[in-house]
Amino acid sequence: MGQDLAQISPLAEQFSRRARLEDLARGRDRHRVLETRRARRPLRLLWLLTGPGLLAMLGENDGPSMVSYATTGATYGVGFFVPFILLTFVMAFAVQEMTVRLGAATHRGHAELIFARFGPFWGYLAMADLVVGNLLTLVTEFIAIQAGGLYFGAPAPVSVGIGALVVIASLALRRYATWERAVMIFAAFNLLFVPAALFAHPDGAALARALATWRPLQGGFSVAFVTLAMANIGATVTPWMIFFQQSAVVDKGLTVADLPQGRIETALGAVVAAVAAIATIVATAPLFAAGIDVSKFVSGPDFASALRPLIGSTGATLFALGVLEAGLVAAMTITTSSAYAFGETLRAGHSLNLDFTEGRLFYGAAIVSTLAAAGVVLIPGAPLLAMTLTVNVIATLMMAPALLLLLLLANDREIMGRLANGRFANLIGGTIVVAITAVGAIYGLVVVFPGLLGN
Amino acid sequence: MSDQSRWLEALEPDQFVAATETPLPRRKLSRGVLVLLIALRIYVFITAPIVVYAFVRALLTP
Repeated sequence: MGQDLAQISPLAEQFSRRARLEDLARGRDRHRVLETRRARRPLRLLWLLTGPGLLAMLGENDGPSMVSYATTGATYGVGFFVPFILLTFVMAFAVQEMTVRLGAATHRGHAELIFARFGPFWGYLAMADLVVGNLLTLVTEFIAIQAGGLYFGAPAPVSVGIGALVVIASLALRRYATWERAVMIFAAFNLLFVPAALFAHPDGAALARALATWRPLQGGFSVAFVTLAMANIGATVTPWMIFFQQSAVVDKGLTVADLPQGRIETALGAVVAAVAAIATIVATAPLFAAGIDVSKFVSGPDFASALRPLIGSTGATLFALGVLEAGLVAAMTITTSSAYAFGETLRAGHSLNLDFTEGRLFYGAAIVSTLAAAGVVLIPGAPLLAMTLTVNVIATLMMAPALLLLLLLANDREIMGRLANGRFANLIGGTIVVAITAVGAIYGLVVVFPGLLGN
Repeated sequence: MSDQSRWLEALEPDQFVAATETPLPRRKLSRGVLVLLIALRIYVFITAPIVVYAFVRALLTP
């Protein structure tokens, strides 16, 4: 087929070369998977198929998310929000599992499916949500990198410049599998929040009590409570994760036979990310106990500085490093999510298996968005604090239409066949859409009518 | 058989780039689905300015 196309025009020849490059790289990875399956080595098989789910979940434990969890711990201590965050990760798993099925069943990215099945009108609206959400989130990742750098004495242009360089350099790996493993190494450092939490000498009984009773909830329902609840939902389920994981599943080459491993690695990602999120709350709970006002803190390292006298300099340094890592990993995954969606929308090459010539639009979108986001952070006087707090709220609001499109696609028997959603998946998915829409509506009401909750 | 042939054989037929270039047919949206899509779009258009308002208010608060 490639040779036939090549005879038609130079454009077709170019397509043929790109297709062959991509097919060969993906086929090489698939060959290894098939050999491992034949050899009946389940753990090695799981290792080979691990990546998209783990990176989506740990990528979402990003700069603004860690600030949200830190603000939660410092404002409410160990209580209601510990089981609440656990619940949000159950939600995240339910959502992301659908993307694994969609990717394995159709071998097409999320943006591509929305355009194909719903047409350009709904496609461009979904893309507008994604572009705005991703760009704003990417800016906040560089805020985290910059603030992390400042904690260690690096000037903003240096840390932001190095951060942008690492993100762009990761794209130069030119193989999906290599990129994935490189980002996974960085993502493992998300667990730095666990030793940081141990330095806070957590009360195990209080943690268990909070998990069992969803209490205490200091101050009851208030604007701050609703904003934090929204920010914590936005810290766990966001549109970029849907687009990223489905495209990564396709780029990695997962098939229907790989669904069990795809589900396990997504669940594993959710568990690891939930542990890091709860560890962040536990690590910052001493600020709540000491009555420190964190409302003017700009970023994670501000929390680290405030924590130093309470949990010691080692704990605080681990915390600051964790926030820096969170920003860096998320910058890599969000950039890739934007690039996948851009390539799929323009029907241009969209794979990390392509070289720069064949995937210039794909890599171009990633590089331009990285440089733009890094540039915004370096603007003197940019409202970094307000942006960081607002980004997760925006992500939550945009999640409702994104989830509806996901549910419709997952129910589409023409493309999904027997892998279409069952009644249980629809019940969970529908409940999540209603819950997210309701929390967003309550947020709108309490912002417009601040006296509504009586405080 | 060469390595490259073996690798290409490991791919399912609909995994080849050429196969994924085939356009999928457009889905016919029912009235109920359209109402839901439009309702959530209106929801975003109403709530987004509220977030912008809250953002600006946070900036102006000393």
